[in-house]
Amino acid sequence: MPSWQNFQPFIVTGLALGGVYALSGVGLVVLYQATGVVYLALGAVGAMGALITYSLISGGMAHWLAWLVCLAFSGAVTLAYGMIFGPLLAKRDPLVKATATLGLLLVLFGAMDLLWTTSGGAVRSLTFPTDGHGFSLGHVTINWTQVIGLGVGVAITAGTAAFLRFTKLGTAMRALANDREITATLGVPVRRVEAAAWLGCGILAGIAGLLLADMVALDATTLTFLVISSLAAALIARLRSVTLTFGAALLVGLVQNMLVPIPALTSYSNMAPFVLAAVALLLLSRRRVIGLSREEA
Amino acid sequence: MLDVAESPDSADSRASGRQSGLRLPARPTLIRAGVIVVLLVFVLLGLPQLLSLYYVDAMTQVAVYAMVALGLGVLVGRVGLMSLGQVAVLAIGAWSAARLLFGTGQPYPLVLLEAGLVTMILGTVLLLPALRLRGLYLALITLMLAGAVTVVLATLNFPNGGRGFTGYNGNQTHIPPIRRPSIATSDPAYFRYAVVVAVVMFALVAVHIRTRPGRAWAAIRQSEPAALAVGINTTAYKLWAVALASFVTGVAGGVYAGAVHYLYSIDFAAYTSITILAVVLMGGAYNLWGAVVAGLLMQLLPALLQNWGVSNDWLTILFGIGVVQVLTTAPRGLADQFPKDMAKLGKLLLGLVRRPVPAVPETGGETP
Repeated sequence: MPSWQNFQPFIVTGLALGGVYALSGVGLVVLYQATGVVYLALGAVGAMGALITYSLISGGMAHWLAWLVCLAFSGAVTLAYGMIFGPLLAKRDPLVKATATLGLLLVLFGAMDLLWTTSGGAVRSLTFPTDGHGFSLGHVTINWTQVIGLGVGVAITAGTAAFLRFTKLGTAMRALANDREITATLGVPVRRVEAAAWLGCGILAGIAGLLLADMVALDATTLTFLVISSLAAALIARLRSVTLTFGAALLVGLVQNMLVPIPALTSYSNMAPFVLAAVALLLLSRRRVIGLSREEA
Repeated sequence: MLDVAESPDSADSRASGRQSGLRLPARPTLIRAGVIVVLLVFVLLGLPQLLSLYYVDAMTQVAVYAMVALGLGVLVGRVGLMSLGQVAVLAIGAWSAARLLFGTGQPYPLVLLEAGLVTMILGTVLLLPALRLRGLYLALITLMLAGAVTVVLATLNFPNGGRGFTGYNGNQTHIPPIRRPSIATSDPAYFRYAVVVAVVMFALVAVHIRTRPGRAWAAIRQSEPAALAVGINTTAYKLWAVALASFVTGVAGGVYAGAVHYLYSIDFAAYTSITILAVVLMGGAYNLWGAVVAGLLMQLLPALLQNWGVSNDWLTILFGIGVVQVLTTAPRGLADQFPKDMAKLGKLLLGLVRRPVPAVPETGGETP
C-alpha cells in the first residue's frame, strides 16, 4: 500500500478532473430534464471544438479568440441538432432519442478522423498559459489549470442550480421536466426553452472539451468517450439533481485517480466510472416495481 | 417497452391473417426457401472462386459480423434492449476460444460451442441484476459494463500461447497464430466454414423466433404488464434472449479468433459497439436479413472503400447519418424498406408502360 504522500498529487488531479466531469454532467442533466434527451455526443462535440481550437492556435490566432470559436462551434452544432431532430423525435422513447445522438457522435467522429488524421503519429496537444504556473500545498504542486477545472465545475454547478431555481427560464425548464403537455398548455414557449437548454449544454460541452484536451489528451477517441465518465456521474444522480451530479462527478474523478498509485489496481483505474455507475444504477433501482410508465427505468 | 418501430407486429399479423386457414406452406414460403438455398449454394461454392483473397477475407468478416448483428438483433428487435456493448461480448467469445484453442487440442466446433457457452454464462450473469432496469437505463448500463469488460481484457491481454489462466506470456515477437480447423486452414475454406457456422446460428435464432420464446418476446415487446398478466415469466424470457444473443455473439468471437489468427485488445474498441448498433438499426433489427445487411455494411463496404482508396471515415459519417435517418423515418431498417421501395418503383415503372391504368385497386389480395 502506498503512503499517504503518494496519494496527494492524485487527489489534486482527481478533483480537477472531477470538476470538469461535473461541468459536462450538469450539461447532460439539464438537457435531459428539459428535453428528455441523453446527449451521448457531448464528448464528440467538445473534442471537435478542441481540435478546431488547436488548428486555429497553430495557425496563429489569438488564444482567447480560438477558445471562443470552440464554444461557438459546440454550441452551434448542439443547437442545430436539437432544433432539427428534437421536434422529429419529441414523441419517441427516451432510448430512441439517446440512440439518435449516437448518430451525431458517429458523424463527428468520422469527420474528426478525416480532418485531423491520427495515423501520422504526431501528438497534438492543447495547453493553457495557466499550465506552467501554480503553487505548492504541502508536498504537492498545483497548477492553475487544475484550480480552474475544479473552480469552473463549482461555478457552473452553483450557477445552474441558481438559474434553475430563480430565473423564469429555469423555472420553465423545471416545469418541462415535470410535464411537457401541461407546461405547453400554460403558455410556456416549449421550443424556445428547449433551444436554450441545447445551446447551454453545447457550450458546456465546449468548455469541458477544452479543459479535458489540456488535462487528459487532445485525441478524438479519448475525448469522445470521456463523456462516459460524466454520464456515470449524471446517472449516479439519476439524471435529476444538479448538485448530486457535482458530488458524484468529484467522487468518480477522485476514485479513478486514487486507484492509480495502488500498483495492483493501476491498470483497472479506468474501470472506476463504469463500476460506480453500474452499482449506483442497480442499487437505486432495486425496489422498483413493474409499471406502465415509458419514461422511467 | 421500447418502440423503435411504431408497431412491429401489426404488419406481420395482417399479412399472415390473410392466409389463415391455409395450413400448407404457401407459395411465397417455398419461393423464399428456394431463394435461400440457391443463395447459399452460390455463396459456398461460387463466391470463393470468383473473389480475390482480399475479398474472401472480407466476406469471412461479414459472416462474423452478421452473427454479431444477429445477436444484437435478438436483443433490439425481440426484447427491445439496445445493447451498447456488443464488442465486449464478442471479445469475451474470442478470448475464451483463443484460450481453449491454445490450451487444448479439442476439435474446432467443440471450442466454438464452449466459447459460446462461456460467453452466454458471463453475459447472463452480468446482465441478470440489470434486467430490473428498463429502456434507457438498461442500455446505458450495458455501455458501462462493456467499458468495464474492455478495461479488464486490455489488462489481461489476449492469449498468445502462454501458460496459466490468462495464457499471455508477454512475448511480443514469436507469437504462434491461433489455429483453424484442420478442414479449413486456407482462407477460402475458412470462409465456407464461417458461413456454415453462421447459417447454423441463423437457423437457431429462426427456430427461437418461430416457437414459444419468440411469441413470448413479441408479447413482452408489445406490453410487459400485459405479458405478465397472461402468465409469461417476463424475466425468464428476457434472460433467455440475453443468453441466446450472448451465445451467438460468443460463437462469432470464436470464428473471429480463427479468422484473424492474432488477437489484440485494440481491435475491440468501444466505438465499434456503436458502429455495430448503427448497422443493425440500418439493416433492420426485426428481420433476419437485416443481420446479413448489417454484416455487409460493417465489413464489405470498408473493404470496398479501402480498395478504391476512399477513407473509412466517410463510412463512419454515413453510418451516423444512417442511424438518425432510420430512427426518424424508416424504423424497420433497410432489409424491410428496400423491397418495399423496389416494389413501389416497379409499380411506378409498370404504370408508365401500361398507360391506361386499370380501375382495380393496386393493393390486390382482397379479391374474394
